[in-house]
Amino acid sequence: MIITPSFWFRAVVVIAIMVMVYLFLPALIVIPISFTDRYYLSLPAKTLSFAHYAALVTNPMWRDSFLQSAMVSSVSTLLALTLGSAAAIGAWKMGTRLKSVVRMMALMPLIVPTIVGALAYYRLYIHLGLLDTFTGVIITHVVAATPFVFISVSAALGNFDERLEHAARSMGARPLHVLARITLPCIRPGLISGAIFAFIVSWDELVVLLFVTTRNVYLLPRAMWDGINDNVDPTIACVATLMILITLVCLCTERWLAHRNGN
Amino acid sequence: MPNEHARAEPLLRVSALTKKYGDSKALDGVDFSLEAGEFLTLLGPSGSGKTTTLMSIAGFVQPTSGDITHRGKSITRTLPEDRGFGMVFQGYALFPHMTVEQNVKFPLSIRGLPAGEISRRAESALERVQLKAYARRHPRQLSGGQQQRVALARALVYEPEILLLDEPLSALDRKLRGDLQWELRNLNKESATSFLYVTHDQEEALSMSDRIAIFNQGKIVQIGTPSFLYEHPANLFVAEFLGKSNVLDARILGPDEENIAIDYEGGVISIPRSQVATSATGAVSLIVRPHKLRMRPPGHGKLAAKVQAISYVGNAVHHLVRTAAGAPAIIEQVADSALYNPVQGSDVSLHFDVDAITVLEARGDCRKRLAATTDPSPTAKDGK
Repeated sequence: MIITPSFWFRAVVVIAIMVMVYLFLPALIVIPISFTDRYYLSLPAKTLSFAHYAALVTNPMWRDSFLQSAMVSSVSTLLALTLGSAAAIGAWKMGTRLKSVVRMMALMPLIVPTIVGALAYYRLYIHLGLLDTFTGVIITHVVAATPFVFISVSAALGNFDERLEHAARSMGARPLHVLARITLPCIRPGLISGAIFAFIVSWDELVVLLFVTTRNVYLLPRAMWDGINDNVDPTIACVATLMILITLVCLCTERWLAHRNGN
Repeated sequence: MPNEHARAEPLLRVSALTKKYGDSKALDGVDFSLEAGEFLTLLGPSGSGKTTTLMSIAGFVQPTSGDITHRGKSITRTLPEDRGFGMVFQGYALFPHMTVEQNVKFPLSIRGLPAGEISRRAESALERVQLKAYARRHPRQLSGGQQQRVALARALVYEPEILLLDEPLSALDRKLRGDLQWELRNLNKESATSFLYVTHDQEEALSMSDRIAIFNQGKIVQIGTPSFLYEHPANLFVAEFLGKSNVLDARILGPDEENIAIDYEGGVISIPRSQVATSATGAVSLIVRPHKLRMRPPGHGKLAAKVQAISYVGNAVHHLVRTAAGAPAIIEQVADSALYNPVQGSDVSLHFDVDAITVLEARGDCRKRLAATTDPSPTAKDGK
């Protein structure tokens, strides 16, 4: 009797599924559109066509922006991973009061509204000469992505037994050696999911991008933004489909790793 | 001259070690030394400072003052990784991402030994704890007892002079604990390593140690061999912490030639000076171990009492009695129907030999209770 799900539980599940469909459908509609056989944004008329996917590779505008995005996201992920884990490990070793200060600082970029941050970068970069440079964009991405690394590495450290470090040191291992051979391998799942989240944050960031870049740095989200404004090229649907796919692969990998680690 | 001095120096010496956390003292002037090959146990209730002492020796706690010397050389400011001691932790602290074999090899690889020697020594260490067959498993695939043996192999594989053990058996069940106690004892006797062992379990301490240091409130209250501590506790804390003790309130009347006359509930007895471990005059405590206290039919012993409860524990029977003045006592006697076995509610007479008695300084509350019975003033009652 008690085991049978109640009416209300079923109702909540149904509503949850409906909300999910409502949220997902508009996004998923780009998938059939990306296979259209016509030259404007539409559903396929007669056959499925891969012509627009081919354009992604042949059209230098799409190809270059894709490569630029991949480069910027990879570099930003690496930097955010380094900074975020260093901050998390540092905070983990600190006393309670200092720890909360570092925590606050590390999570600050999540609290500041994106548009405020974008304006701030714009004003600052004018003076620093960083507008429309890769350095400038990467800095904004690293700042945005670091809190995600900090959170996931902190969570992993929460399950890490400090005595393992003590054990290694009692056997004669220097602190850096302990970090490389004991601490980092033990919190690897946290590092990986932090890196995946950092990559996703960097991969589809648009708002700050619009403020700090023009033509020199031309990342994928920017190309899509211009594409949807300037013309109705269905290639944009292909890009969108690919982005959904990449994000999905990242998230599934992260979930799978978290699950495997949990067992 | 310096040579002679070095020989007299113990393997490890802890002097006047003090650790303050804010205003509270976790350690308050701890002094002891560890001799080569010795099995020394730090025993005490939780929060008594035994683990803080061990962690100071390991280097993970920096003492506020005092000194730790290893072969006469101060190591108080030395980093943990430079002290060269072995350590076994509560909860084992095995590296979960490494196999059993990799765990045991870790300290050897840090020392940069050649690969062949690392393998050979790791193998013999695992053999010594009978876990060679489990070399390629991960720690989580082993039972608690096996994990503990891996931790031991890992800590002993580089042959440290001193092995520090922090309640290593506390997570194991009783039977396994007993087996591992024997194993630890043997490892200590077979190797050249001195063991410094922290526990709150008095049975464990009694059965394994060469010497025991008993901690209370950040201080060592007594240090000595298990039998000496059991037979000659220096104070009530030791008497009650190490095994069970019956405590009777008493009063020193005064010394005569060899003996000291003591007045207690059963009258005045004369006790040899050697059994009086206090310089106090007036209120004291008489200590009798439960197996040294006997029951006789009423009128045939020294002290009238009534049996309150009886508990059968297999090889022995425990009688909980209360004296006429209200003091509780436990008598432990062999389960044997030939002995005098009074039933619950019986009046009995308690008997003991004078040489089974130790006289200790009375605890604060005993003194108050005595004061209250002899001098029924209102202030004394309020104080109780």
